[in-house]
Amino acid sequence: MSEQPFTLAIPDADLEYLRKKLDVVRLPDELDGAGWQYGAPLAHIQRLLAHWKDGFDWRKAEAEINKLAMFTRDVDVEGFGTLNIHYLHQKSEVKNAIPLLFVHGWPGHFLEVRKLLPILTAKSPDHPSFHVVAVSLPGFAFSEGPKKPGFEGRQYAEVLNKVMLALGYNEYVYQGGDWGHLLGAHVAHQYGHKHVKAWHSNMPCYRAPKLLSNPFLTLEPYYSAAARQRISKSAKYRVTGSGYFLEQATKPQTIGYSLADSPVGLLAWIYEKLVAWTDEYPWTDDEVLEWISVYWFSRDGPAASVRIYHALTGGSTHDSFAGAARSTIPLGVSYFPKEIIQLPKSWTQLLGNVVFESEHDKGGHFAATEQPEALAGDLRKMYGKGGPAHGVVPGRNGYD
Amino acid sequence: MASTTAEEQPFTLAVPDADLELLRTKLASVRFPDELEGAAWDYGAPLADIQRLVTHWKNSFDWRKAEAAINTLPMFTHDIEVDGFGTLNIHYVHQKSAVKNAVPLLFVHGWPGHFLEVRKLLPLLTAGPADQPSFHVVALSLPGFGFSEAPKKPGFKGRHYAEVFNKLMLSLGYEEYVYQGGDWGCALGAHAVTHYAHTHIKAWHTNTPFYRRPKFLSNPLLFLGLLTLPFNEPALAGLQRSQEFMKKGMGYYMEQATQPQTLGYSLADSPVGLLAWIYEKLVSWSDDYPWTDDEVIEWISIYWFSRAGPAAAGRIYYEITNRNTNDLFEGTKRTTVPFGVAYFPGEIAQTPKSWSKMLGKVVFESTHDKGGHFSAFEQPEKLASDLHKMFGKGGPAHGVVPGRNGYD
Repeated sequence: MSEQPFTLAIPDADLEYLRKKLDVVRLPDELDGAGWQYGAPLAHIQRLLAHWKDGFDWRKAEAEINKLAMFTRDVDVEGFGTLNIHYLHQKSEVKNAIPLLFVHGWPGHFLEVRKLLPILTAKSPDHPSFHVVAVSLPGFAFSEGPKKPGFEGRQYAEVLNKVMLALGYNEYVYQGGDWGHLLGAHVAHQYGHKHVKAWHSNMPCYRAPKLLSNPFLTLEPYYSAAARQRISKSAKYRVTGSGYFLEQATKPQTIGYSLADSPVGLLAWIYEKLVAWTDEYPWTDDEVLEWISVYWFSRDGPAASVRIYHALTGGSTHDSFAGAARSTIPLGVSYFPKEIIQLPKSWTQLLGNVVFESEHDKGGHFAATEQPEALAGDLRKMYGKGGPAHGVVPGRNGYD
Repeated sequence: MASTTAEEQPFTLAVPDADLELLRTKLASVRFPDELEGAAWDYGAPLADIQRLVTHWKNSFDWRKAEAAINTLPMFTHDIEVDGFGTLNIHYVHQKSAVKNAVPLLFVHGWPGHFLEVRKLLPLLTAGPADQPSFHVVALSLPGFGFSEAPKKPGFKGRHYAEVFNKLMLSLGYEEYVYQGGDWGCALGAHAVTHYAHTHIKAWHTNTPFYRRPKFLSNPLLFLGLLTLPFNEPALAGLQRSQEFMKKGMGYYMEQATQPQTLGYSLADSPVGLLAWIYEKLVSWSDDYPWTDDEVIEWISIYWFSRAGPAAAGRIYYEITNRNTNDLFEGTKRTTVPFGVAYFPGEIAQTPKSWSKMLGKVVFESTHDKGGHFSAFEQPEKLASDLHKMFGKGGPAHGVVPGRNGYD
């Protein structure tokens, strides 16, 4: 089935059902002075709930979302039949704009591309332009998810590549963070050079080097304070912020019951990350609730989205890079200070062929939302005239 | 000074109709996730199980009937003063034996357990055969569980739980007593004996023995024993089960130890969320126990209707591990009061038996061929029999409580 325009239209019954649920929420108590130490604070959740019930206007948000150029199409995945995939496709007026595939993560979604769109597609002699495609990963937002086990890095990459090919972009570049980064390694491995000509990540991380194969890199933290500092920033995430990862990687169905059934449960589960993982981003209640709503109203339900953790880690038996060998296509990376996983910058070369690096003094994990100008600026530098990845896509160098 | 028995209040469980109504409303509007084909238990609690249990909960389970049966147990509450935390109103079962000199025994549950795990043990321990020792049994709801109040502020540590245990027993006139526990009951037992061994706790027993890996400096022989591990088949099998648990079964632990409040919103608000979260453990941690739907729903209901709400219980992981920066035994020390252990094959964290020596002065050991983590519930006769052997005439801990050796 070829491309169909997509209009988001949540049935009234679903809105009514949510309203009913919000009316009978039972909240826990909270320890005195808990702050953020035990998780999402009660006062925040109460305020957001009240707004969800009485202030947030889903139909208004939906209408705004529908102004975006959205589509669905059936994508065949070997061994899994067809999945109906939802995506945003915003072309630039620049005919030779660079096709760019933007891939979100968890708890992200396709709308994270929103603020980047006008910047990336804008026409100017001073910077390159992009045709932007932002796919909802299978099992997220309005894309169908796989119905059986075994849908792993290879299959996600296959879906992403097939969408680009179907849009006529035989060669393209890739940008992602969170799962977008991890899947980027898979896409680069499977389709590097042939289809994906370069990629960029705003969450550059990889496996730690091994002493025998990379003695200098392995030993760097021992003599570099900067390297040590970066690693220590990751410690907080590892020690106190990765419970969700382990549960989702081992028992996604168990936590799925809560996420599917409880709006406040889903809200807290995600909101905790929206705040903890950003660099003091001034979330408005409307922004948060729109974000959560995309999960609540997602096509396969919120539980489907967390299966990616189990799928990509073999149920927590290996890391997410398994099966994705290092590709030699150009790689660009952006370092944001409040990113949750930070490793010595020298280790990034293990991830890929680093041709572009930039470091920022503001921004966190959700860089496209928090620092869209900075992120877009990096892409412009990387692909612009004189940039290290300029002209990687033959015939589409970003300028007319 | 311990509170006097005069302040003890009889406790009758009486969940308000409004609470039953709210639950009914929520159960009537559950939204289920889908499930991958052929998932079985690979991704967590299976959809078919959860749907069947929700249907049972909605249409068949009779809470008032369960409540009435619970109320046939002798239950009480008592205000216990805890240093730095004010008073906590603690709920407990106190079943005395007809044998005047019965051994006072404190039974301590864990997570996702509760005080009712003692139920099947009660007749076996308080009114067993005449040639076996009898016990006066006290089974409390841990602070934040069942019908005990929860602490209101951060920092409720192992020594505070121990303080609650000890003050409760003293308030009942049991200056000296023995202790039995599994899961948190085991870890908290280590904390309790650290503070009250000899003075009050005269012996202790656990049905879930586990401990830290031995360090060379503190336990050289046990450390060296690790080298022979590859040749110790039973220990290897046990370690494999432990590794399986460590790799695949620790998500709940990590989340509860680091973000219990975040998780708590789901558990407080969603009956099916709470059901799945706990049921997954009831099945995977037990040894093919044939759970009936009524048993499961009653079990979950204790959490759903708990005094402090379901979100409070998980905080114990955070507090005792200091937000996942230390293990469960931090702050404990090995004591020399007699210590008994029971090894059950379905236990989730099976460390080599020799490691139990680090936990306490092992005077009694038993190895069973059936039973898992919830052995008081799954194999009450086996567990009771262990306690009979340990404390009975000729047993290694016979007469540890002066004047209360279990026989008249």
